[in-house]
Amino acid sequence: MELALSALITALLISAMYIVVALGLAFLLSVMGIINFSHGVIYMIAGYICYQLAVVYGLNQWLSLIVSVIVISAFGIFLERYCFRYAVGNLDRMIIISIAIILVLQNAVNITMGGYVRSLPSFAPGTLRIATFSFAIDKLLTFLIGAALLVILIWFTRRTKYGLQMQAISQELEGAALLGINVHQISAIACAMACGMAAIAGCLMGALFNLSAFMGDNMLIKSLELVILGGIGSIGGLFFAGLLIGSLDAVVPLFSSGAMGQVIALAVIIIILLFRPQGFLGREYH
Amino acid sequence: MCADEKQTASKSNAKIIRLAIYGILVFILALLPLLIKSPYVIHVFITTFIYIVATVSLRTVTISGQYPLAHAAFMGIGAYASAIMAKLMGWPIWLTIPLGGVAAMAIGAFIAYPFARLRAFYYAMVSLFFGLGINQLIIVSTKWTGGAGGFTNIPHLLPTTDKVPYYYFTLVFMVLCLGALWRFEYSRIGISLKAIAQSHLVASSVGINEASFRILALSVGCFFVGIAGAVYAHYNFTLSPTCFDITAGLWLFVYALIGGLSSFNGPIVGTALLIIAPQLLSNLKQFVPFISAAILLLVFYVMPQGLVSLPQLLSYWIKERRKKDTLSHAA
Repeated sequence: MELALSALITALLISAMYIVVALGLAFLLSVMGIINFSHGVIYMIAGYICYQLAVVYGLNQWLSLIVSVIVISAFGIFLERYCFRYAVGNLDRMIIISIAIILVLQNAVNITMGGYVRSLPSFAPGTLRIATFSFAIDKLLTFLIGAALLVILIWFTRRTKYGLQMQAISQELEGAALLGINVHQISAIACAMACGMAAIAGCLMGALFNLSAFMGDNMLIKSLELVILGGIGSIGGLFFAGLLIGSLDAVVPLFSSGAMGQVIALAVIIIILLFRPQGFLGREYH
Repeated sequence: MCADEKQTASKSNAKIIRLAIYGILVFILALLPLLIKSPYVIHVFITTFIYIVATVSLRTVTISGQYPLAHAAFMGIGAYASAIMAKLMGWPIWLTIPLGGVAAMAIGAFIAYPFARLRAFYYAMVSLFFGLGINQLIIVSTKWTGGAGGFTNIPHLLPTTDKVPYYYFTLVFMVLCLGALWRFEYSRIGISLKAIAQSHLVASSVGINEASFRILALSVGCFFVGIAGAVYAHYNFTLSPTCFDITAGLWLFVYALIGGLSSFNGPIVGTALLIIAPQLLSNLKQFVPFISAAILLLVFYVMPQGLVSLPQLLSYWIKERRKKDTLSHAA
């Protein structure tokens, strides 16, 4: 019983982590139809910016998180203007530009900052004890931030003017432009938001794990699994996909090795996708 | 009638010219080891030949409208299957290399049937996850594959360690594979595959069985990438799972895209440029990725159809330039 309960709690915390990282990717793909394979690298860069500000220059850590989010959002606008705009709706071109971004950023970071292990200090150190269970507070914080961001995003895409305009653009670009929606401006806002969310995730994960130039690779794959399984076009589906993959990752290693757990999780995902290609709550994507 | 005859005549002429160009290129490549003595350069060329087979077989899959992001994993299946059969079971290498291809083909055909339900983007994503799963399986089965530490002491393909015999072997191997893939693409089957890629509804309405043709395309592609992987294994003597992971899969796709997926020559040009140019241009290892990135960005912004569209683009630019000149003269 106790084992089951602690496995459940671990599952929830891992799911929350995955959801936080996948939010930016899911948002950009659902709302703008841009599949951003360089999401993992942007997430990594944000962690390093936060590290530079907080550890090297000694700024307040929350302040450096906010600065990092702002810088990366600005970078998102740059990416939209000079990269993604020429690749929307074309998977081939999206892969080329993403690989180019990954190559440049990853190797630049690896040459300048790589070499030895760095880590951000914890955002909220300490543990919380309830009955016989103890939680790390920073993991709980990740959970809360993930839940809050998820709710805010769903509200944003469904209820606000900008969110509705983004949906209109992803459905029919020319039609949206004819109705007087400023397509480039709205796309820039969406990219800035997505990169900002990647930055929040990068700073939080940089405190939970070590920073490295390649920390984004695994997380990119996890996010892709979450987004595709949850369904493109539905940010709510991310919640269920996150729960499923998080619980698989929490429970399967109890019975087997870590890599075998990966294989089982992937097999489950592939089987679900073969029967339901559009994911849990998704719509058909072209 | 007359115009028709003319057309066929010019078509066969173009075919002969094309074959002659290929022949001259192969001839130059065959003479190359006499000029270049550096073993490293020869090694780069050998790797390029093997990867050209891999990317061209990837294109064979893409002409049927599938996005095989797991192609590097099939290369891994071929490589590991051949290496296991040769090392642990002691079978002769001339047998294990084709069997490696057959192993990759069998798994490709097995997954192709359920994958035939998926289209475009979803196919790409599920095949990406499949490639990742295969890679993790290679890591997990430590007893057979050596796990993440790598598979070492694979039997040699040729009884020498000199690079030049390997160069000629891989050159002949590449020419044979490309010939076979060329024949496949311009056969009746290849035309049906292209029809499916353009519109699967129209294709099935004229009696092309979409699912079976897609399975066939994936099997053929996987067979050739499997034997390419097997040759790679017996040339390199060591294998590591990182050679066949997701990044490698995306890179294979990028090699083909950079050259241009619309033409048979595209993957050849793209692979050759992206493997050879960064290695030969830079003396510093750490700047290699930046050169690759520069090539990717150049193709992304200037040549949307890939490198093979460069001659058309050039003639278009020259025409535009002339038009401008005549306009300014007139004014």
